Amino acid sequence: MLDFEQELKKFKPSLEVEDIEDAVYQEDMSDMTDLIKEIINHTK
Amino acid sequence: MEYTEKIIRQSQYWYNDGLKKAQIKDISGAILSLRRSLKYNHKNIEARNLLGLVYYERGEVAEGLVEWIISKNLGTSDNIAGYFIKEVQKSAEQLEAINEAVKCYNQSLTFCRQGSEDMAILQLKKALDVHPSFLKAYQLLALIYIHKGQCSKARPLIKEARKLDTTNVQTLRLMHELSVKHEQKNRSKEEKGSEVVEYNLGNDTIIQPKYTGVKKVSVKSAFLNLIFGVVAGALIVWFLIVPAVQTFKNDRSNKQMIGYGEQINSLKSQISAQTRALDQYRKNEKDVVENLETAAGTAESYEKLMTANDQWKAGNYAAENLAQVLLGIKKDSLQDTGKTLYDRIASDVFPVASSTLYSSGNESYDAANYDTAIRNYNLTVKMYEDYDNGGALLNLGLALLKSGDKEQATTKFKRVIELYPNTDKAKQAQAGLDFISSGKGAIEDLKRAGEVIQSQESWTQNDENYDEEGMYTEEGVQTTEYEDGNYNSSIEE
Repeated sequence: MLDFEQELKKFKPSLEVEDIEDAVYQEDMSDMTDLIKEIINHTK
Repeated sequence: MEYTEKIIRQSQYWYNDGLKKAQIKDISGAILSLRRSLKYNHKNIEARNLLGLVYYERGEVAEGLVEWIISKNLGTSDNIAGYFIKEVQKSAEQLEAINEAVKCYNQSLTFCRQGSEDMAILQLKKALDVHPSFLKAYQLLALIYIHKGQCSKARPLIKEARKLDTTNVQTLRLMHELSVKHEQKNRSKEEKGSEVVEYNLGNDTIIQPKYTGVKKVSVKSAFLNLIFGVVAGALIVWFLIVPAVQTFKNDRSNKQMIGYGEQINSLKSQISAQTRALDQYRKNEKDVVENLETAAGTAESYEKLMTANDQWKAGNYAAENLAQVLLGIKKDSLQDTGKTLYDRIASDVFPVASSTLYSSGNESYDAANYDTAIRNYNLTVKMYEDYDNGGALLNLGLALLKSGDKEQATTKFKRVIELYPNTDKAKQAQAGLDFISSGKGAIEDLKRAGEVIQSQESWTQNDENYDEEGMYTEEGVQTTEYEDGNYNSSIEE
């Protein structure tokens, strides 16, 4: 049986057009390369 | 740098995977793969562009624009992201409408969390009207319907959501929930023995009884229904049809009766007319008969008068016989001439005859020969009712009494009392009446008038100058005159 409240929590608000700019700036652009670089730097 | 190549290759791998999934509409799987690809290499333009596209495909336009904007800013000259952005910006109205739909969706989420599910439904319907590829709206609306128990409304929404994203977990969960509820419903229906069929027709859900072909009807209920139907039919016939038929019959009978009555009245009137005519005929006949009788009587009277006249002229007659002939004549039927003749003869005959008949009547009375006495007294009274001052009438009554005819005797006695009140004869008549009514006295004590008269008067029977018939035989002419009820005898020398 579905729990309505629990399922409802899984629904997140959708992005509106006005929020696109903020979303672009907040996008996490880090990738694996950056992670490896960081690891290398740590090891160094 | 090996790592760099490996990373790039890994990014490409996941991009390819995302692409395959996107091609089979596995949007959720494609997003995951593409996100992984970008995690390996954030500069994978193709992966980012595809990610934006898959977001756009399931209605998340703003998320798609974000990826395309980032993709374009990562810089390559022939980036298709620019094309996507331009295409979206071309239809500003559509973008605005999509934005409104997103706002409605966000508002509906707020309503749901506040418990205003009906308001949320309204907002989601509005959003889906404008933006029919909005997956999240379908999912949320379906969730609300399932929560409210309106599984039939949720089912089409989930179908649409599945078209947009075939492997979306949320959609699959909702589908599973629907199937579970459906099974539960079918089980309860089977337990209840329900025979309804539920199906969707457009936006409406149709629930109708299942046609089984042959209805289960218990024998008992069928029999009861049959009995009830028969009773109801009988009651209807008794209370509605029978009175109407009876009324019709009564009306017909009444009309017939009226007709018969009219016929009877007509016949009655005819009969009365015929009766009146018959009575008239009878009366006429009676008159005719009376006239005939009168005529016959008149003829007979004249014959008798002529016979009496002949005998009287001849002088050879017995007074009492001739008197009887005269008494047999109907004087009223005679004309004046006849009446004159009748009177002349009677004046000559009646005095002698009455005397003779009275005397013989007395003798017969004394000899107890009452029949003869009655006859003689009757003739005397017919000639002179007041003969002997009522003596003849009194003696007639006594003779009738002694002969047993009390009724006639009563009549005679009453006549005596009427004609001669306060006389001895009246007293004797009263004595006779008393004897008749109450049996007072003895019949032997009732004396006739002749007995008294004989002791006091001397009639011709005791006088030697008169013969037995009262005719004077000696010198002189016997004249007997009847005057004022008395007979005066005188001898003219």
